[in-house]
Amino acid sequence: MSRTATRLTRILAMLPWVIAHPGSTVEEVCERFGYTARELLADLDLVFVCGLPGYGPGDLMVAYVEDDTVVVDTADYFASAPRLSPAESLALLAAGLTVVASGQASPELRSAVDKLTRVVAPEGDDVLTVDVMGTSELTTALRDAAAAGRAVEIEYMSLGRGERTTRVVEPWSVSSAMGNWYLTGYCRSAGDERVFRLDRIRGVQVLDDRFEPAATAPSPVGYTPSEDDVHALLRLAPSARWVAEYYPVEVVEDDGEGLTVRFATYDPMVAARLLIRLGDQAHLVEGVEVKAALEELRSRMLARYAD
Amino acid sequence: MRNVLERVLNLLAFLLTAGRPVTAEEIQMTVAGYDREGGDAFRRMFERDKDLLRRLGIPIVLQAVKAGAEPGYLIRPEDYQLPDPNLTDDERAALWLAAQVVRIGGGPSGPDAVLKLGGARTTTGVEPMSADLGVEVDRLAQLFAASTERRTVEGRYRGRRRRIEPYGMGHRRGHWYLVGVEDADIRVYRVDRFEELSVGETPGAFERRGDVDVRSELDTQPWEAGSEEPVRVRLRVDREMAWWADRRLGRAPISRLELDDGAIELELEVTHLDAFVGWVLGFDHHAEVLGPPEMRARVVDRIRGSS
Repeated sequence: MSRTATRLTRILAMLPWVIAHPGSTVEEVCERFGYTARELLADLDLVFVCGLPGYGPGDLMVAYVEDDTVVVDTADYFASAPRLSPAESLALLAAGLTVVASGQASPELRSAVDKLTRVVAPEGDDVLTVDVMGTSELTTALRDAAAAGRAVEIEYMSLGRGERTTRVVEPWSVSSAMGNWYLTGYCRSAGDERVFRLDRIRGVQVLDDRFEPAATAPSPVGYTPSEDDVHALLRLAPSARWVAEYYPVEVVEDDGEGLTVRFATYDPMVAARLLIRLGDQAHLVEGVEVKAALEELRSRMLARYAD
Repeated sequence: MRNVLERVLNLLAFLLTAGRPVTAEEIQMTVAGYDREGGDAFRRMFERDKDLLRRLGIPIVLQAVKAGAEPGYLIRPEDYQLPDPNLTDDERAALWLAAQVVRIGGGPSGPDAVLKLGGARTTTGVEPMSADLGVEVDRLAQLFAASTERRTVEGRYRGRRRRIEPYGMGHRRGHWYLVGVEDADIRVYRVDRFEELSVGETPGAFERRGDVDVRSELDTQPWEAGSEEPVRVRLRVDREMAWWADRRLGRAPISRLELDDGAIELELEVTHLDAFVGWVLGFDHHAEVLGPPEMRARVVDRIRGSS
């Protein structure tokens, strides 16, 4: 939203509150609507010169501060806040439902979501549902450990080798993106920052060992290029275009018949696994490490079907 | 910005209190802020102001005044006013926090909406949990409004034009889906796969059928959601990944047998064969389709791929 729209929304939300709660102090209104005292005064001044045609003393709204109290009068047409737009209803409800689905919701959030649903989706509570594949005990344990600055020991399955490893991790954040939950943190076993998929964590044990949690929330899961990356050139059929949105690839050619993309990864097996999943919708144009990984994976998998 | 805000507040106050449709000409003559502008300048300014109000979710309708005359603009107070969900302060604060940690449309999901609901006392603590629900908020909002208001949806999906009665939407496995009725059949659509989309003008355009269960349509696995002839597939998953298969299954398989070596044998009903093959490949060489033979052949074909 533009700054004008944001400011107008705040004015149209603040006025009804003050009308319904006469005697509200500047501090209360500022805290509730995220104003600084100066911003609030500027908005009240603005309201003071607006009103109904005629625009004389009886037609304009009254809005000022007296003895630290916010006063609003003759603005009955703004006694209710504007309704939520469809985008606002959807986003707010989806946010609440997501936290509920993650198993992290407080009782207050659950009741808020119920009340909001009754108002914005009276047709039924199934008009909007969110499932973020909650493995909720894990999500809760790791989120709480991150908030408390406690190290955890996780039993993690690394795909491919199919082996389970036990690692000690300082958890920074737990986040959901593209249908999976991820744990980001400092892996003491690897001596570096790592991202783990929650569905591959079989068990977690919170240790007594403490660390200092970061003062600011770490950025969401993403890919950081590194010197050690291997590169490959993939050719994607039109039906596999989604790969370009999901993976950190650079589009080299887009000719309507498909895409050629450059894929960078620290583990060539990631690209090999993707190529197998895509079947004849993709092929490898260039990249020796990925070619070797692909051949290895392919022969391991075909061995299961060698009869 | 101040001039725009003053003018828009005056316009809004006028339209909310007029109680009848008013023509653009009357608005130009009456509302403070427009009076000094000539024809074209007024038109541009008025269009921008209407857009601003609509972006806030304020419904401005154009209505005939009398036959043959120019139609007028109207904001019905009952359409403007927020239906109050009667949230407590704690509930508002919980929603605000949820809106902070869940990203949709590339940003936090609707702090402005919480202001409309009465604002919230906010905290500044770092929350280590976050979720990302994708970027397509406009299209989602359109479909959400269509579902709650029972408007028909027309669009192109997988190369074909369709007319859909929308029942509800959900976020599953990282994607947004729409459940609707098309030619009397209940269907599930992936929202990002619509090539074109428009929502009908008329609310209440269809009656909701009692036999459409949005939630259960969405909770099926991709391989259960196809329209192919159902096939019973037997799958063996090795000991190392048996727990992972159990966790990812969702609904109970037809049968589940635990073998002496810790592996499991599952029997599943599949109606979308390609989706099932994709799922099996996610286990690398730790899972094997035991039968039927056609299904084994499909897996082998996919592993061999094109390159």
